[in-house]
Amino acid sequence: MTVTGTGRWFARPAAAAALRYGLAFASIAAAMGLARLFLYFHLPQPFAAFALSAIAITFWYGGNMPGIVAALLASIIRYSHWSETHAASRAIYDLVFLIFAFLMMAINRSRSELEVSVAERTADLTQANQELSLEIAQRKRAEEKLRQSEAYLAEAQKLAHTGSWVWRVDGKEALHLSEEWYRIYGFDPKDGMPTFDKRLQRVHPDDRARWKETIDRAIREKSEYEIEFCILLPDGTVKDLYTVGHPVFDASSLLVQFVGTTTDVTERKRAEEALRRSEAYLAEAQRLTHTGSWVWEVAPRRALHLSEEWYRIYGFDQKDGMSAWDQRLERIHPDDRARRQQKIDRAISEKSEYELEYRIILPSGTVRHLHSVGHPVLDASGNLAQFVGSSTDITERRQAEEALRQAQADLARISRITTMGELTASLAHEVNQPIAAAVTDANTCLRWLNRDQPDLDEAREAASRVVKDATRAAEIVSRTRLLFKKVSPQWESVDMHEIIREMVALMSGEAARYSISVWAELTAELPEVKGDRVQLQQVLMNLMMNGIEAMKDADGPRELMVRSQATEDGQLLVSISDTGVGLPLQQADQIFNAFFTTKPQGTGMGLRISRSIVESHGGRLWAADNSSRGASFHLSLPTKVETHE
Amino acid sequence: MIANSQSMIAAAAAERYFVAMAIQRKGKMVAIVDDDELMRSALQGMLKSVGLPSQAFASAEEFLRSGQHQQIACLIADIRMPGMSGLELQAKLNAEHCRIPTIFITAHGDTKMRMQALRAGAVEFLAKPFDDEVLLESVRAALAN
Repeated sequence: MTVTGTGRWFARPAAAAALRYGLAFASIAAAMGLARLFLYFHLPQPFAAFALSAIAITFWYGGNMPGIVAALLASIIRYSHWSETHAASRAIYDLVFLIFAFLMMAINRSRSELEVSVAERTADLTQANQELSLEIAQRKRAEEKLRQSEAYLAEAQKLAHTGSWVWRVDGKEALHLSEEWYRIYGFDPKDGMPTFDKRLQRVHPDDRARWKETIDRAIREKSEYEIEFCILLPDGTVKDLYTVGHPVFDASSLLVQFVGTTTDVTERKRAEEALRRSEAYLAEAQRLTHTGSWVWEVAPRRALHLSEEWYRIYGFDQKDGMSAWDQRLERIHPDDRARRQQKIDRAISEKSEYELEYRIILPSGTVRHLHSVGHPVLDASGNLAQFVGSSTDITERRQAEEALRQAQADLARISRITTMGELTASLAHEVNQPIAAAVTDANTCLRWLNRDQPDLDEAREAASRVVKDATRAAEIVSRTRLLFKKVSPQWESVDMHEIIREMVALMSGEAARYSISVWAELTAELPEVKGDRVQLQQVLMNLMMNGIEAMKDADGPRELMVRSQATEDGQLLVSISDTGVGLPLQQADQIFNAFFTTKPQGTGMGLRISRSIVESHGGRLWAADNSSRGASFHLSLPTKVETHE
Repeated sequence: MIANSQSMIAAAAAERYFVAMAIQRKGKMVAIVDDDELMRSALQGMLKSVGLPSQAFASAEEFLRSGQHQQIACLIADIRMPGMSGLELQAKLNAEHCRIPTIFITAHGDTKMRMQALRAGAVEFLAKPFDDEVLLESVRAALAN
């Protein structure tokens, strides 16, 4: 900061040099002028005074050199205008001017120094001002950040339904309560910070004692505290709150404050409650359906989750934890182990679902049937991570199925017997034929023998006819006996044509009774069928009986046609057609329902049982009206051997 | 035993009678219509043993097709047969004014049917198993007309 920087145009040397020196001349001239003026007015003539003033002015405003010039000028003018006689007075004048000049130079110097220090002071002040401005700007930014951060905090509290608080131990008065705290408690910040009593009032009556006790204990023990409690707002709302408080100590380790947070956990509690309930329902559902769920990891092979019911099914204690998983392998029935392992290995290699049934043997020796289903779970990179699924105890179901099967077999047998009973009349008549023939032939034989000349050849012929007749009668009897026998289903290769022929023979009596002709059109290429002989006979018997029944009172030709043919898709198709009354209107399928009958004494079970038998053989049984008269019943049976699971 | 010997004597007597009749009525044929083979052979054997010629047909249609109605002096027919029944055959013959004395033998006989058959002009209606003698009586009676 130099003098040149001040901008005082007097001090700038170059530009103002003329002015400054001009000032010297001007001021002396003015002094002279004034002196003359005073002379004119007959006033004392202090040219010296005026000159000294002029010199001083010039030193002050013009600088040292112009001042010296002014002093010299003053001296010269004095010489020229007011000459003194005495050299001594002249010398004194010069001396005075000289001393004055030196004085003025000294004054100038002081003035310069003063100006310099003023300039320095000004520079310092300016710098200090700048620094101050910067600081103010910084502080403003810091304040702004703080405001923002407080806004974020408030927002965070709002989002988390958490309010923060500080209260003083003395008097338990609140020192700070955040915006969210007011919102949670339902107080208005404009009303000021609520007192301890007011806060206590908000606590639910049921929790008040506990809440107070917790705080008092925390104060006593100078410890942290946490408490869950309910508050009751004036409008009746109840909220669940969770409060955590930390003690604050002063420099002398005295407990002075507590600082902490209060969170509104009402929603969380409700969600927890719902989750707990839903889990309880799930566990109940699992228990009711005897289904346990599980999750197991593929590598390493271990269980991640086993439900309560799973333990119960396998007969383990839930306390055993995951070790039960390894032990369960021992409980699996030895015969089922290989098959089960195969299926699981395949599912792992194909990353596919699996479904399997197997038995387990409980420690008590009981055998239970299980049905397991597993779904693969892939990780982010598409590798097989886990299997999740369920296992159901289907023992009861199995037993029920078995009982049902048994009941069906019994019912089928009874139906068979009943049908046989219906055939009795015709069978009796049918057996009568050969017996009547036998009687006739025997009498004929006797007649030949009783002649005067017995014809032994003729007699022999007649006798052998008797044998044939009796044999035929025996055949009819034995044929029917088989159908009354109680045999468990025998799965074997059956010749359908043989069965058809037998049934046609069995029915022939009944057919004849109603003047029905029976035709059989059997295909030359009979494919092999596997099944139970007696059951298939029963089906054919039932269908043919129905056909005969339909034609009992029909007009026109009465024909029962039994056809067999091999279809393109490898099935055997047997059709029984009649020329009778046809199917009941629109009920081509309902006739297969249980208890559907058009006969006054019918049980309605015949077709139902026939259909079950055919379906258990893997086939289908259906009916359709003929284009002309009567109806046709078709049954298809598979001829390829199928594997049974 | 006594009953047996009596029937034997009766049979022998009938046989002689029939032989006599047969000599008188040479060429009068008995037709048998029954779908059961054993019954056919039994009846043919029986008629042969009393010296009566007979022809057997497995069905009413076969009988009608043979075209021998006029030569038939007596017809023994079953009622229940596949295709045309015995009663239908009777009706057909009546319609053609072919009055052959007919004896019905059937395993399924009931009174209603019996009435119907007799009303339509049958000589006799017998249930199986029948008494040989009764049948032969009926044949005799039919041939006598």
